[in-house]
Amino acid sequence: MRGAEADSEGREGEASASGPGSPGSTSTAPPNPTPTPTSTATSTPTATPTSAATPTPTPASTPAPPAFHLPAFGLAVLAMLGAPAALALVSALLDRAGAGPDLAFRLSLVAGALTAAALGALAGAVGRRVAFFEISAAGALLVAALLVGGVLLAPGLRSGTLPIGAWEQQGKLVLVLGLLLVAGAITTAAFVGSSLGFLLYGGGRFDASLSYELFVARAHLQLAPRTLLGLFLVVVTGLLPGLLLAMGISFVRALQERRAQAARLPFWRPRMPATLLMTLISIGGVAIGVWALTVVLSVMSGFEADLKSKILGARSHGVVLKYGDNDFTEWREVRDRVLSVPGIAGATPFVYSEVMLSADRQLAGAILEGVDPATVGTVLDLARNVRQGDLAWLDHPERIPLPRGTGGAEAPPARAEVLPGLVIGQELARSLRVFVGDVVNVISPLGDLGPAGPQPRSRAFRVAAIFYCGMYEYDSKFAYLGLADAQRFLATGDSVTGLELRVKDLDSARPVVRRVLAHLEGYPYRVKDWGELNRNLFAALNMEKVVMAVILGFIVLVASFTIVATLVMQVLDKRREIAVLRSMGAGTPSIMKIFVAEGLGIGAIGTAFGLLLGFGTCLFIDKVGIPLDPEVYYISNLPVRLSGVEFLLVALLSLAISYLATLYPATKAARLEPVEGLRGE
Amino acid sequence: MEPLLRIRGLCKTYLMAPEAGARQPRRVEVLRGIDLDIGAGELLALTGPSGSGKSTFLNLVGALDAPSSGEVWFEGRDLFALDEAALAEFRNAAVGFIFQSHHLLPEFTALENAMMPALIRRVARPEARRAAREMLALVGLADRAEHRPGELSGGEQQRVALARALALRPRLLLADEPTGNLDPATADGIHGLLAAINGQLGVTAIVVTHNERLAQALPRRLRLQGGRLGG
Repeated sequence: MRGAEADSEGREGEASASGPGSPGSTSTAPPNPTPTPTSTATSTPTATPTSAATPTPTPASTPAPPAFHLPAFGLAVLAMLGAPAALALVSALLDRAGAGPDLAFRLSLVAGALTAAALGALAGAVGRRVAFFEISAAGALLVAALLVGGVLLAPGLRSGTLPIGAWEQQGKLVLVLGLLLVAGAITTAAFVGSSLGFLLYGGGRFDASLSYELFVARAHLQLAPRTLLGLFLVVVTGLLPGLLLAMGISFVRALQERRAQAARLPFWRPRMPATLLMTLISIGGVAIGVWALTVVLSVMSGFEADLKSKILGARSHGVVLKYGDNDFTEWREVRDRVLSVPGIAGATPFVYSEVMLSADRQLAGAILEGVDPATVGTVLDLARNVRQGDLAWLDHPERIPLPRGTGGAEAPPARAEVLPGLVIGQELARSLRVFVGDVVNVISPLGDLGPAGPQPRSRAFRVAAIFYCGMYEYDSKFAYLGLADAQRFLATGDSVTGLELRVKDLDSARPVVRRVLAHLEGYPYRVKDWGELNRNLFAALNMEKVVMAVILGFIVLVASFTIVATLVMQVLDKRREIAVLRSMGAGTPSIMKIFVAEGLGIGAIGTAFGLLLGFGTCLFIDKVGIPLDPEVYYISNLPVRLSGVEFLLVALLSLAISYLATLYPATKAARLEPVEGLRGE
Repeated sequence: MEPLLRIRGLCKTYLMAPEAGARQPRRVEVLRGIDLDIGAGELLALTGPSGSGKSTFLNLVGALDAPSSGEVWFEGRDLFALDEAALAEFRNAAVGFIFQSHHLLPEFTALENAMMPALIRRVARPEARRAAREMLALVGLADRAEHRPGELSGGEQQRVALARALALRPRLLLADEPTGNLDPATADGIHGLLAAINGQLGVTAIVVTHNERLAQALPRRLRLQGGRLGG
């Protein structure tokens, strides 16, 4: 304390050196750090102080900060230029480094946002303000520039990871919306940065301390643990029971009051302060928004994970194909070479064709896949999915039990001959009305050359097994048979369509499959991973998830409006206190910090409640289960998957929105003139 | 010798909302040119009828408000040439305010209220607590430190406000009718305390008061009338 005083006295001495001789001369340069021209030259005629008749031209001799700070605006413009530049640069660097497009896109977004925030922070610190006007103006310029540049130049832009090209392909509207989104995101990042810059550096020196601000904010919020627990119970019991209980308590209190009045006894009914009520409502709003967001995202992730596991159980993680027709005869060596690639867990040959199945008068289209029963288990979960029959009967068709005839035990002798085995899905079996042992005719349109041109080829098979994988599309479409039988039926000789692969780690399927291709030295081979094989499905799922997140994000946004309202009320309520704090030397950034801390406190508590509730709900769905009609949804329980990353992202989103919500009321508080607050008594 | 405060040509004109029918805002000249020197350690009474600009004058000297024209030099520094941050620093450490209605923060105890200027200055909490306790003891409230303002009497509240104003040992104390809401006996106590503190700490004090009897007891008296200093 003493040291600080001595320091300030040192500066005073310096200032007084030029001053004391002639108080009238305004020779002391105001310690204004900005070189902008301000109207400080007010040489008031001190010799004639009684000049009341002459109007006072300048309202104040204080170097009033300019309404529009040019250096801050310059930095804001730099932020708008720097963010897209950083975005493009990082994306190009990552592209060259060979990162996946998803990762590269995300990282470049982060880089762009950080650049904008950093330059915005600089603008806030240099301008000593939350540069609302400056950044808005720069943002408007950015929008204009992006629209003009993007729409005119986009046909020439074909960046590897940036989606501008993709937007452009979807039409002008998507392009414009995408560019607006980018501009909005950059401007928001710059806002966050500049407000942080002002909060930390607005007092002229770096001050990240929150000691007394938190002290005051906590006192303003008046959140006792008991109050919070009550609120949590109200929210967790689904609002209605809690509110009924609160109403019941209120009713009992009213009765007591009435009785006390009747008996002329003093009765004091504790009332909840309006600001506390508003605070609780805001916390509840944020909590419900976060709750909904986490639960819905978890359930959607559950559906996605369920689908993924089913698809990847029934189908392979990747395939090796060969250009050209019917000449993949060297598959045995290729398989050995593929198996030597690190990360590959299994490989099996397959033959693929689309055929028609018939049984009695039932017909169904199907995808026929010839598999090698010896190695198919290393790639597909087929053996595990078999519900009736046995996969091994593909190799030993003589073991397939004959169906018991509907009329008795005797079977027609014509049907008793040994036919090659066929494994079909449960839904396919149902639509063909066949069971294990029944005969199914497989008809291929690409048949032999008959007297009248190509003739469909038909052959009888016996159902050796029926599988169920849980994907309706697969259970109703797939038919497997032995590789040799398939080659014979489709007349492909020793050639196969390709190799199916299983990788050890699903998420690294793409690089592993690329490695396989490199190992096979490229052409004439080509590879595909599961992402490429099922691109449409997963893209649609992802899109659905993003749209859901955006829509539910609006709940959090609406909840943040209640934060704005609560804080505005709080600011109005505390005008006098703000003035008193200012009179004690609290600077504007410091006042702002108090209300930012309050809003962030509301947001943080609400987010914590919401995450807890979301976690609890997901656990409930997971452990107890919510049954679904399996006939309709082809899944017995509502699936759910808890993802730490998703919870973290939701929390960050909610906190960021809360922070943005505090900015308006907090600047309002910081702009209050102390005299006004003290006068209103 | 340079006085602690040198005030030259201090004017304050408020613009009020225009009256019905008028288009120009109304000008209210509250202070019409004040020249005043106040030396270090002075104890000064400022009297005057209501609306004579006493509070406005104190707010200007304490840099809570900006003048329309004129200058206030504090220890050789032109106050209104300082930027916002330096003004906050000045209000924090160089000046202490007491208001008619004590303006204590109701959510905090007497001790926490008295700690607040030091906390704003980012003094460590134990150090701030020690200084606040010392000041509370000086105003005779050592045993009421943990009470909230609502649990204190009017005189005690004003003493806490005084302890808060003195927490950082300011050179200038500005008291705006500190005894306006108090009964005569309590008011005498507060004035006695002000005089004692002026002697003990050497702090310069400007006390605005309506009470002529109390004003007479102070060594220097000034009277504001019609926005100008008289007698």
